[in-house]
Amino acid sequence: MKDKSNQKPIVTFARWGNYSIAFASLLEQLGMEVIPPEKVSPNTIIEGAKITPDMFCFPMKATIGSYLPALKKGAQKVFMVQNVGGSCRQRYYGVIQDKILKEDGWDIEFIDLRTTPKDIYTKLKEISGVSTLELIKIAIFFFKKLRLIENLEKMSQYYRPRELEKGKTDRTLQWALLELENLNQRKDFKNTKKQISKKFSEIQIDKDKKLPKVAVIGEIYTVCDSSVNFELEKKLGLEGIEIHRQMDLSYHLKKILCPWKDWIIQKTINPYLKSTVGGHGRDAIYEMLDYVKRDFDGVVQILPMACMPEVTVRPILEKIHQQSKIPFLSLSLDEQVAEAGMDTRLEAFVDVVLNYYKNKKI
Amino acid sequence: MTIGIPQGLIHFKQPYFWEIFFNNLGFEVLLSPLTNKEIVESGVNVADPETCFSNKVYWGHLVWLDGKCDFIFVPRLKTNHEKLEYCPKFFALPDLAKIIVKTPILTKTFDERKQRFVRSLEKLGARLNKSSRETREAYELSLLKVKELKEKEKQNFLNKISSKKPKIVLISHPYNLFDSYVNLRIEEKLKKLGIEPIFIDEIDEIEPGNASKIDFHWEFGKEIIERINEVLKHKIVGAVQISSFQCGCDAVLKEFVEKEFRLKKTPFLYIIIDEHTGEAGLQTRLEAFVDTL
Repeated sequence: MKDKSNQKPIVTFARWGNYSIAFASLLEQLGMEVIPPEKVSPNTIIEGAKITPDMFCFPMKATIGSYLPALKKGAQKVFMVQNVGGSCRQRYYGVIQDKILKEDGWDIEFIDLRTTPKDIYTKLKEISGVSTLELIKIAIFFFKKLRLIENLEKMSQYYRPRELEKGKTDRTLQWALLELENLNQRKDFKNTKKQISKKFSEIQIDKDKKLPKVAVIGEIYTVCDSSVNFELEKKLGLEGIEIHRQMDLSYHLKKILCPWKDWIIQKTINPYLKSTVGGHGRDAIYEMLDYVKRDFDGVVQILPMACMPEVTVRPILEKIHQQSKIPFLSLSLDEQVAEAGMDTRLEAFVDVVLNYYKNKKI
Repeated sequence: MTIGIPQGLIHFKQPYFWEIFFNNLGFEVLLSPLTNKEIVESGVNVADPETCFSNKVYWGHLVWLDGKCDFIFVPRLKTNHEKLEYCPKFFALPDLAKIIVKTPILTKTFDERKQRFVRSLEKLGARLNKSSRETREAYELSLLKVKELKEKEKQNFLNKISSKKPKIVLISHPYNLFDSYVNLRIEEKLKKLGIEPIFIDEIDEIEPGNASKIDFHWEFGKEIIERINEVLKHKIVGAVQISSFQCGCDAVLKEFVEKEFRLKKTPFLYIIIDEHTGEAGLQTRLEAFVDTL
């Protein structure tokens, strides 16, 4: 018989857009065998929705669906992040997923990480058994990768509407992400980064092109995962619109480290909302006010259907939209939303934005 | 000066208290009527389509009060005396109310993590030009009155629990349980079927040791699980949970409530209510449920 203690634990985690690459390499470096979750698609969403409570919010259905295939392949542990400070349902994701997976007959262990630096540190150390120095090195590598992924996304937001050869940016982005996925040696990071920036600089763009600018705000999971929001950024980008997005993982992590950011946000949005509403509800208002001030040509809010914080602030966003006349589109996502319906709404929105942009110039 | 109080949602969290309190302070109070069809319809018209049904009903009450009084009182309830949070949708009620109605909104934040309830009340009184002594007196008088009214309800519970009829416990938030239009007169319907319905809120005395294993940060989560454990000590033939459509908190809570009853092998029925729910459908489901008991 095999000695169990020598076996590497086989783990999986909930997929979250391109960040999954960084998560996977983090867990691998910690000495675990990782079966990465599958990309979110209508099929995985349906599988997830089958076992998730009907009233639960959409990200839960999408995440469960994404790691179910990994469980079928033999993963024994699932990593889940729990937001301790939050007021919304995300707090109970770990407990509920643990419960429904056990009811569905899976014999798995759930590792519920609280988003406090201390808890993450102790749990990761306990599971992996690496030394503190090693853990710090791994963490730095993880953050480097994370930053690079976010920079790549930001870069393609800029390149996409300006590219001369259609589709070149997305091809380069896909290639770069694949490169990053295969990158597991810490010492190779610099080299890969150089290669990627070289490839990106080779994309020919029209630098002087004046473009309408649209901002994406909303719930962090749906905003950041392009496979969940039907590649909204790509679609708008190819229509010749420059996309801006503040909400990403490093924004969220920064907020945990610098709590005064919340205070600034609250001060700005005081005329509209005088309290927190959980999740990133306040941030959505703050960002929208910011974009109105910066003279943007449209704002898209993406939220999971009936997300408590985002639905609560939506009337306020609509009020800002009425006051400032900035085009505004709110897209709720759930397992029943089809891509064709989304496309129609986006097309109409693009027309509104272009019109708004044209009238503004005169 | 007249202060309007919408009779929905948070009003049921502190029943009787606010109208008695403002009366004691020397204001006239205009309570919106019990929920009816028009109120629900006007609420649905102004509400965000994806917000929960209970919120929509509340907006309906607000719209009814609009223009009929000098102020509408919409408190911002954040945490209770146990420092547990209320539903996050309550946090933004005054701000959203300002968008919906033209009548000025009177509001005060009640966050016991930062300030004691009485202290917040004093500040509210100061805004209405009342000294803190007056406010305190009014508060204490109101507490006595509320206690008296609650005492009556407790008597009621003791009668109910000792009745010979089969007993079903109704689990929900107070704003669903005590608003008979919203819950489609479920109490009446169950009584007609020969059942003694017991409201989860009526169970007042909780023995220690009933605490739930899950660490809830919502006040109702902890309370409901504790009360369920208490009521399960009595002879209960079944349980019915009522949720508003799109209630985010209940999506979580239901999983644990159902589990408690399943462990005790008590039949459990889950009903979701919204503005389209038909009475006939509910009647059929209740009859079928009672038949299985």
